[in-house]
Amino acid sequence: MSERRSMKAKLGGNVFKPDRERHINIKPGFEKDARLKAALFVCPAGLYSLNEEDEVVLDIDGCLECGTCRIACGTEVLDWNYPNGEAGVQFRFG
Amino acid sequence: MDKFDVIIVGAGLAGLSAAYVLAKEGIEVVIIERGDYPGAKNVTGGRLYVNPVRQYLPDIWDDAPLERHVTNEMVTMMSPDNSVSMRFRSDKFDQKPYHSYTVLRATFDRWLAAQAEKAGAMLVTKNRVDDVIKEQGKVIGVVTAGEELGADVVVACDGVLSFVAEKAGMIVPGQPRNFAVGLKEVIELPRTTLEDRFGLTGDEGVAQMFMGSLTQGRFGGGFLYTNKASVSLGMVVGIRDLIERKPGVEVHLLLDEFKERPEIVPLIKGGEPVEYSAHVIPEGGLAGLTPLFGDGILVAGDAAGFSLNMGITVRGMEFAIASGVMAARAIIEARAKNDFSASTLSCYQQFLENSFVMKDFRTFQHTPHVLDNSRFYGYYPQFAGKLLEDLYTVDSGPKAKISDTIRKNLSLGESLRMGKDLLGGLKI
Amino acid sequence: MNIYVCVKQTVDLQQVRIRKETREPVLDGVPLTIGNIDKNALEEGVRLRDKLGGKVIGVSAGSEELNDTIKEALAMGADEAIMIIAPELEGAESSTVAMALAKAIEKTGEIGIILLGEGSSDNYSGQVGPRIAEILDLPQITYVSSLEAEGNTVKAVRNLEDCFETVEAEMPVVVSVVSEINEPRIPAVTQILKAGRKPKQIYSPAELGVEIAGSQIKTISNLAPEQDRKRLLFQEGVGQDVKSLVAALESEGLLGR
Repeated sequence: MSERRSMKAKLGGNVFKPDRERHINIKPGFEKDARLKAALFVCPAGLYSLNEEDEVVLDIDGCLECGTCRIACGTEVLDWNYPNGEAGVQFRFG
Repeated sequence: MDKFDVIIVGAGLAGLSAAYVLAKEGIEVVIIERGDYPGAKNVTGGRLYVNPVRQYLPDIWDDAPLERHVTNEMVTMMSPDNSVSMRFRSDKFDQKPYHSYTVLRATFDRWLAAQAEKAGAMLVTKNRVDDVIKEQGKVIGVVTAGEELGADVVVACDGVLSFVAEKAGMIVPGQPRNFAVGLKEVIELPRTTLEDRFGLTGDEGVAQMFMGSLTQGRFGGGFLYTNKASVSLGMVVGIRDLIERKPGVEVHLLLDEFKERPEIVPLIKGGEPVEYSAHVIPEGGLAGLTPLFGDGILVAGDAAGFSLNMGITVRGMEFAIASGVMAARAIIEARAKNDFSASTLSCYQQFLENSFVMKDFRTFQHTPHVLDNSRFYGYYPQFAGKLLEDLYTVDSGPKAKISDTIRKNLSLGESLRMGKDLLGGLKI
Repeated sequence: MNIYVCVKQTVDLQQVRIRKETREPVLDGVPLTIGNIDKNALEEGVRLRDKLGGKVIGVSAGSEELNDTIKEALAMGADEAIMIIAPELEGAESSTVAMALAKAIEKTGEIGIILLGEGSSDNYSGQVGPRIAEILDLPQITYVSSLEAEGNTVKAVRNLEDCFETVEAEMPVVVSVVSEINEPRIPAVTQILKAGRKPKQIYSPAELGVEIAGSQIKTISNLAPEQDRKRLLFQEGVGQDVKSLVAALESEGLLGR
C-alpha cells in the first residue's frame, strides 16, 4: 500500500492564487469558544488547529472555500467571506 | 449607476442556464463570477442525469464536454473488515441518447459559459459580488469591487452559502443539520488502464456508491466515478454528525482511510492525484428550501437549496439547470408585464411546481428524516457482511443450514427494528 | 497620436501543472490570458494617453480565441484593438508574429509609441519588440523602467540590472518595458462590460501581405527540471548532526559563498 499523502501534498496539487487579505477570520475573543471546536473536525483541508493556549487558530493557506466551517461554527464566531476576485482556489477539474 | 436588464450572480449551472435562455430572448444579461473562469470554484461528485434537463436547454447537448456515459451502477456496503457489492450493467444505458454522464465542472461550466456568451450574455469573471442594493425593500442591483450595478432583476445563483440571498434578507446562515460536506480527489489514470481496471468498453463509465463503516456511523457515504482518464473519488458526510458524534474524527482522515481500503487501493493504484476539492452540499430536502423569489430577486440552484438526497444518490446539477431556466422564464414573463415585483416573479415558483424539480422534492420529502438513521451507516452494512461471511465460510466442522445462519445473525429484536426501518424506507 | 500596445495571449502560468511521469507541462484546457508584462505595457500606454491624449490601440496576433484576451486589454483601458487572426499564428515564432504586428500597425495610421513587455510570459524570447523596430525602421528603447513623454520626445530610464541608463528618442519609437514600471490596474466591471463594444479591426495575414513560413525553430524538449531530494537523515544527536549538516552543505558548495 502506498504511503498516505500529507495534507500539504494534497493541497499542493491545487491552484491557489494569493489574496491581499484573509477571507476568514476568527472573531476576536472567540478563540476558545466551544462552537469553534467543531472546525477542528469538519475542515476538509485541516486548516484549524489548537495552539498552546488552547485557542483555535486558522491557517488560511489552502482554503478550499467549501463553506463547511461557516455552517458548522456559525457567523457569531467566524467572520467569513469568499476571497476577492482573482484570488483563492481555482479548480482545474472540479 | 449602469443598469442592465438582468444581473446573475454566479456562473454555475443555474446561473449559466438562466443566462443562456435570457440571452437567446435578446435580453441584456450580465453574469458576475468570482472565479478566474466559470467552474473555477465549482465542485461536483459527479454525475449529471441528462434526461430531466434535455428539454430545458435543447440543442446543446451533442457538443457538451461530458466525460463517460454511465452504463455500470454499483453499490457497495462496507464494514470494517468486509464489503458487499452489487454491480448493475445495462445495454439500455449504452444506447443513445445516454441518460447519465460523469462530468468535471471546470470543463463543463466553461463550455456552458461559452454557449451563453455566444447567445449574447455578458460574462464578467474574477469579480466577487459584495452586496445587494435595495430601495424600499426591493432589490435593484449589486455592488462588486466598489461599483454599483443596477438591474430589473438580480438572480442569486451564488451557491450553497448564497451571500446574495443573505444580504437581500431572504435567508440566515444555515444550520449544520441541513448540510453535508463533500470531499473529492481526482486521480488520473491512463485511459486504457482505467478501462481495463473497471471493465469498460469505449466511453462507458461506472458510478459506484459506498455506504457503511467509511463514515464511522455518520450520515453520508462514498462515491467513485470514472471520467475519461481519471476517477473522481470522494465522500459526503453530514456536518451535524461530524460535530456531534463521538469520538470526533477529522473528516479528511475518513477519506484517507476510505482510500486505503483494499476495495479501493487496486482501483487507483499508480494513479496521479491531481486535485483535492471540497464543498458544502444542501441536504435539507423540501424543508431546507429557501424563499425562491422577492421584489427584484430570484434564487436558483444550490443557493435555493436545490439538491436532493434520493437515498442512493444525491442530485443537484439537474435541479440547478432546471431552476435556472425556470428563473429565466419567470423574468421573461415579468418583462412582458414590465413588473418585477415579488407577486409577478412568483410565477417562478409555479413553474418549478409544475416541473420535475418540485415534484421530486415533494416525492422525496421524507428522505432526509428516514436517512437520518445511524443504522444505515453501521448496523445494516455490517449485518449484510457478517451474514455473507458466515454463508461463504466453510469451517472444519459441519456447515449449518442457511436458515440457521440467517437466524444466528438476526435476532428477533433486530428483525423488528429492521421491519420498522423498512416501513420508513417505503416512504422514500 | 496613436499608442500601440502589443499584447500576447499566453496560458495562465499559475494554472499549468507538470505531469509527474513525464515532466511535461499539461497545457490542454489551461485558461488563456494576457502576458504579465504586457499588462505593464498596457498600463503605461493608458497612463501616457491620459496625459498626452490620443488613442491606445491594443495589437495582437493569434488564433480565434484571441477575442477573450483582447477584451481584457480593452477592459484595462485600450480604446481600440487590432487583431491578426489565423490558426497558424497560434504559437507562431517571433519573426512571424513581429512581421504581422508591424504590418498591421503600419497599415492603420500614425505611430507615436509602440509599447511591449520586455518578454512574453511563456517563451520570453524578447525578440518581437526589436524585430518590429527593425521592420518599421524605428528607434527602440528596451528594458524601460520609467517613461516620460514631452512634445515629440520620450525620455526613458533603462534598467540594465547593474546600472540605470537614461535615454531620449524622438517619436515614433518602440519601447519595451519591465514589470517594475508600474502596477497594472484591475479593470472595473463596467469597463469589462464596455470592452465588448469597443471597435475591433480584424486582419488575416494575407490582407497584410504577411506570409507564414514554415517553422524555423524546432523544439527539442520542453520539460520541467528534475526535482529530487538528497534524503540525508542525521540522527546522532544535535551536536554531531549540526556538524554533519554543515559538512554536507559544504560538500554541495552551498555554504561559504
